Amino acid sequence: MQANTLAILPEISLAVLAALLILIDLRLKPERKALLPGITAAGLLAVLALTLAFARPGAAPESIWGGMLRHDTAAFVFRLIFLFGAAVTCLFTIGWKQVERRGEFFVLLVLSTLGMTLMAAAGDLIMLFLAIETASIPLYVMAGFMTADEKSTESGFKYLLFGALTSSVMVYGFSLLYGFAGTTDLYALAAAVASGDLPPLGLLGALVLVLAGFGFKVAVVPFHFWAPDVYEGAPTPVTAFLSTASKSAGFAVVVRFLLAVFPAAVLPQIIGVAALMSVLSMTLGNSAALAQRNIKRLLAYSSIAHAGYILMGVAAASLLGAASVVYYLAVYLVTNLAAFGVVIIYFNVVGSDEIKDYAGLSRRHPGLAFALLVALLSLAGVPPLGGFFAKILVFAAAVEAGLIWLAVAGVLNAILGLYYYLMVLKVVYLDRGPDEDKPLPVRRAHMAALVVCLLLVLALGTVLGPMYDWSNLAAGGLF
Amino acid sequence: MVPVQYFVGLSAILFTLGALGVLTRRNAIIIFMSIELMLNSANLLFVAFARAFEALSGQIFVFFVMTVAAAEVAVGLALIVAVFRTKDTINIDEVSSLRG
Amino acid sequence: MVTNLLTDYWPILVLLLVSLGFAGIAMGGGLLLGPRRSSARKQEAYESGMRAIGPGTRQMPVRFYLVAVLFILFDIEVIFFLPWAVVFRQYYENGLGAFILLEMLVFIVILLVGYAYAWKKGALEWE
Repeated sequence: MQANTLAILPEISLAVLAALLILIDLRLKPERKALLPGITAAGLLAVLALTLAFARPGAAPESIWGGMLRHDTAAFVFRLIFLFGAAVTCLFTIGWKQVERRGEFFVLLVLSTLGMTLMAAAGDLIMLFLAIETASIPLYVMAGFMTADEKSTESGFKYLLFGALTSSVMVYGFSLLYGFAGTTDLYALAAAVASGDLPPLGLLGALVLVLAGFGFKVAVVPFHFWAPDVYEGAPTPVTAFLSTASKSAGFAVVVRFLLAVFPAAVLPQIIGVAALMSVLSMTLGNSAALAQRNIKRLLAYSSIAHAGYILMGVAAASLLGAASVVYYLAVYLVTNLAAFGVVIIYFNVVGSDEIKDYAGLSRRHPGLAFALLVALLSLAGVPPLGGFFAKILVFAAAVEAGLIWLAVAGVLNAILGLYYYLMVLKVVYLDRGPDEDKPLPVRRAHMAALVVCLLLVLALGTVLGPMYDWSNLAAGGLF
Repeated sequence: MVPVQYFVGLSAILFTLGALGVLTRRNAIIIFMSIELMLNSANLLFVAFARAFEALSGQIFVFFVMTVAAAEVAVGLALIVAVFRTKDTINIDEVSSLRG
Repeated sequence: MVTNLLTDYWPILVLLLVSLGFAGIAMGGGLLLGPRRSSARKQEAYESGMRAIGPGTRQMPVRFYLVAVLFILFDIEVIFFLPWAVVFRQYYENGLGAFILLEMLVFIVILLVGYAYAWKKGALEWE
């Protein structure tokens, strides 16, 4: 019992943090409410430290709480990813007018993070469903949080409609899986699938329904329609959180489900489905991004494309594939947070998300322009940044699995991607803007978060060892 | 005892009705009701299988689906009210200022 | 299989037919035998014999909606007491009574935090 309790220490402390935040928010005087984002970020970092100190899994993966949760390295690494993403998101909400003084927002953020950590650890269909909804429902509210803003409410509304629809399809898939296997335990389900007694066509049908729910969470084609609109309308810190932590949580579930529960050995069609979704997401995301004028929409389509790259690792259906997914997500987390950080800082001063308004940024604030340069080049996959090595890993996984055409499609897409990232950088560095001599104040908290993210981008591209080892351990813990 | 196939058939019909409702209706609240119908078709299936297997986990799953659906509806109606206040409509074809 | 179903459930079928038949006879009889005279009073919405006040589609204050949603949320949580109550004795007899009681207390404390929030934010005030 004690070991079990220690294993869910991150979840317990997140729940306590959420309850405390509600009470703090009720007691805090109005003029001191600006402290809320800082308090939340400190709390999340404390949970991160607790996780590192006490909730490390043993060498062998364990099933805990009657099979509801798995205590393995995959869950552990993903927890760190979500907690880091949530803490950085909190720091970026400082200064976001309609949000920073609202305690509810931070409670929702913490609860959503709690849902994500449970998603990564879920070992049972019931827990998985509950975790996905715990992660999603607060995000619907957060996307529509600026109730006076037409775009924000619409964004939350669309997110909710798509989310509710896909989750009901997913639950129907779950019920069919339960009907086939007679159990809700993921690993018992895996054993039933591996025995080969279940009808493969029926399983595939149920799996497609379930994938609708997962596909929505990670925003891959053909479940991506919501992403550009929601990303554009939501408050930008929420967009940052959605595109990084929420996407990682979705992939944590996808890798566990597709690699551990439905191994390709039993259902070889899965590889085809994943590869197809991967190539469609990459191509559609990148080509749609070319035409964007709004930076948030551009990053939305870019995130669809990146979901495609990551799916390549899933389609490889191997240890290397799973490890490359984890590595890619860690890199994508810090890179995209840095990119959105610049967008948030710039919006706070200039009040625009249009790419053309970024003209002259390099003269106005060279540091900020450099941060955007590093983030976008890492997204494009330029060495020596993290994005380069992450891409190499997924391509290697695809080649190792014999999916050479997929790797070629990925390389072509990376070139396409480089083009539109460079288009943004051209505006930032070469175009002249009207306000070049005006100062561009950057808050210290923002700068600190940005610098940490950028250092990690660089570290993940040069000091590969620690994260690569963790990724491998995480991949091994899935099975 | 009614064989489990009958329940599967009924739930498939309910699920299809819900899906058709989502695809054809334009009023946000009716779409929401259709989504509830889809969730409940899954619930029916869970209960039917739980009885067929004489296992409890399916029934517990239904409890969770019901509570989550309630939470989702509470959030959904709140968002619909927020959208109605900014746009004066809940017709999803008219809620489309985000394009590009 | 169908014959099996029929033998198992024929009382329900009979009940269905009888109730349909009764309703049909009652309504059909009224239609055939009763006189029909229309008046303005009869065209009004039926309001238990009282005079109806205003049209039926009047707008309601959004307060009702807020209270209704809060009610649903707190009401549906009670569903989790049921499985808890079912396994309570089993845990108690295995010497885990304190543990399972604590579990429920945690659940209730979480609900109470939400309740305190709703209360403090004025969601329960009518004016």
